[in-house]
This record gives sequence, C-alpha cells and structure tokens, in this order.
Amino acid sequence: MEPNELGRFEAIVLPHLDAAYTLARYLTRHEHDAQDVVQDAYLRALKYFDGFRGAEAADGRAWLLAIVRNTAFTWRRRYRQEAGAAEFDEQLHSETVADVHPEAALLGASARESLHQALDQLPPEFREVIVLRELQGLSYKEIGDVTGVPVGTVMSRLSRARGRLQRALYAEQEGRRHEP
Amino acid sequence: MSHSKLELQVDAYLDGELASRDARDFKAHLKECPDCARLHDARVALGAAIRAEVPALRAPDELRTRVRAALRSAAGPSVTRHTTAPLGRRWLALAASVVLVAVGSWRLASNRAAGEALSEQVLTSHVRSLMPGHLTDVVSSDQHTVKPWFNGKLDFSPAVYDFAGRGYPLIGGRLDYLGGRPVAALVYGRRQHLINVFLWPATQGPGREPGETMRQGYHLLHWTTPEYTYWVVSDLGMAELREFAQLVRGADSAATR
Repeated sequence: MEPNELGRFEAIVLPHLDAAYTLARYLTRHEHDAQDVVQDAYLRALKYFDGFRGAEAADGRAWLLAIVRNTAFTWRRRYRQEAGAAEFDEQLHSETVADVHPEAALLGASARESLHQALDQLPPEFREVIVLRELQGLSYKEIGDVTGVPVGTVMSRLSRARGRLQRALYAEQEGRRHEP
Repeated sequence: MSHSKLELQVDAYLDGELASRDARDFKAHLKECPDCARLHDARVALGAAIRAEVPALRAPDELRTRVRAALRSAAGPSVTRHTTAPLGRRWLALAASVVLVAVGSWRLASNRAAGEALSEQVLTSHVRSLMPGHLTDVVSSDQHTVKPWFNGKLDFSPAVYDFAGRGYPLIGGRLDYLGGRPVAALVYGRRQHLINVFLWPATQGPGREPGETMRQGYHLLHWTTPEYTYWVVSDLGMAELREFAQLVRGADSAATR
C-alpha cells in the first residue's frame, strides 16, 4: 500500500473508532472481544479500502460500522458466544404484545438499572438497531446499509426492539410493586 | 390500525423518518388519539432513559494504539521502506564500529549478524504483541502487581517501574522469548503509542554497548546495566523513546545505589 493511501484511510476511517467500539462492545457484550473485533474490522476495512468510494470522514462511518457489525457476527458464530440462543427469526422475534400500559411511560430508577440487562437480552439483530439509532443517531437508510436489510425491516426491528425494552422495564417495575 | 402499525408510526415520527406531510398529519392525529399519545409519551421516556443509561462509549487508548499499530504493520513495508533503509545502514555502520573497538575485528562479522538477529527478534516480538490478545499476560498499572507476577516464571525478578507521572504509564507485562531464553516484557504507553521493554540478566561478552536503530518504522534502543540487558522498542519517535530509556536507566541506577 502507498503511504498516501494509509494516510487517506486513517483520515477517513480512524475518526470512527469510538463508534466502532461502541457497536462492537454492545454486540459482543465483552470488553476484550469488542477490542479484538474492532481491530479485526479495521484490518478488513484496510483490505477493502480500494472499493470504498467516499472521500470524507463522514462517508466512512456507515461503511466501517457495516464491517464491524459483520465481524462481530462472524465472531459470534465462530465462538458460539450465544450458545443456546435460538437463531434469529424475524417472525418469531417480532411477535407483538397487546397493549402498552400507560405507566410504562414512568420509568423509575430501578427500572433504569434494568435497562442494560434488557438490552443485553435482546437478540443481537434488535440490539444493533437500538445502538445504531439511539446511541449513534444513524438514519433508517444508514442502518439499512450497515445491517444489510431493507429500510422497512429496519423500521420494524427498531420498533419491536423498543417495544421489548419498554415491556421489560414495565415488567420490572410491576414486579417490584408486587413485592411485599 | 393494528397496535404494531401504531408503534411503527410513532417510532418513525419520533425518529424524523416520516415525510413532512405525513409527520404533520400524524401530529394532528396524536391530539385526537389517546392510544397513540400514550405510546408517544412512553417512547419519549424510553428514548430519554436509553440516552441517560446506555451511553455511547469511547474507545480505550490501548485499543486506539493497537489499531494504529496493526494498520501500519498490515499496510506493509512499502509504507516505511523509504525511510528505514538509510537509517538501517547507518545503524549497521555504528554497530560495526562499536563492535570493532570492543572485541576486535575477527569477531566483527558474527557479532553484527547476532546483533541484527536479536534486533529482528525484538521487532518481531513487538509486532506480535500488538496483535489481538498478545500484548499482556498481566494487565496492571501497578508495578507491585506486575513484578510479583513474574515470580516462578523467570529465573530473575525484573525491575518494574511506573512512569505514569512522566507520561509513560505502565500497562502490564508478559513472558516472551528472545535470544534463546525466556525474558520479561513490560508494556508502557505513551499517548497512542505502546512501548515494549524486554529485559534479561546481562551476560559477559560483546554486544554490551548501547545502540539505537530503526527497522520498518519502529525504533529500537538497547543498553546493558551491570544486571540486565535492555531492549526497548516502539513506534514512538526516537527523541521520546530516548527520554523514556533515560527514565528507565535513571530508575535503575537509583534502585541499585
């Protein structure tokens, strides 16, 4: 690789290290795995940089995150970190529940503590859309580019993921209320 | 409209993903539909809770350093070739002259080859340490944790210092293998850079003179104290690496005084 090319890569792709780490960290749920995934993803990105068309740092984000995402999913398959977890099933995981209780809007402190736990328990396909939208502010289109699914699927996954988080929080609150 | 459709609408509205006319219509609908209004409020609260409790993260400095080093290494020799060759030759000349004075001309060839082989090993070990999971066996910025970790793993107890106050924090240590023997490897940080310090008990004979070199974009320094042979390697600039080496030597001589 030419020295200038490495410089260009660093200018466009390195600024997104925090975003890459955030996604990897929430997907792998493990500090060291996240670091390994990010490093692996950067090396892959360098390899495929020839095919990258963008010219500015802003262009590199979704492109890099797609690589991070795929690297994390490959790792998950390879190391079976989610052994016992069912393969993702769009239909199965998209079942809806009847109603949202009005008090679900009122999130107590204890419920907030369980938010991390609820996020961890989401299938990774749901977790990643939450991270990409809520933490990194990507548009539906960008999320579709990263995850390789149509915008309609992004929309429904995001909505279902939020519904699950909300119900998990509500259930947690409800459980506490009924404790003696 | 089914419940899941309502959720989709509320989410797309809040995410700013509805076309402007649809957004206006939906806003009007919210005023008339208690179900949607309730969902809307619940989602706003959820969004606030996520932003408050599930933060976007900052990559650790260690990762930043690792990624940079891995990229440099993967980008290949063409990135560094232009600068390394002349310096490498200059070092060879320096090493040659030092060895010449110290041990006589008949050993010149073999010592130069041995020195080069060792610096090659040091560099290889450094680069390998930057690969995922290879950097440290013991991770601690506390010298009193790192030093005892070597007990029973080496036939010597390496000197471990922390120069965090001087901008070179201790990151950890690991066992490594150089020049045909197990050695202590200590890892220090400097901003985005990593420094590997290799040390093992000094032996008598040639090759004890301090030296510095540059290989493939990395800087290497080595010196020998009465007790230890030191090799220090990093992608850090030579001036800063010398400053770091000076700290180690200063701490060493203070410890033995």
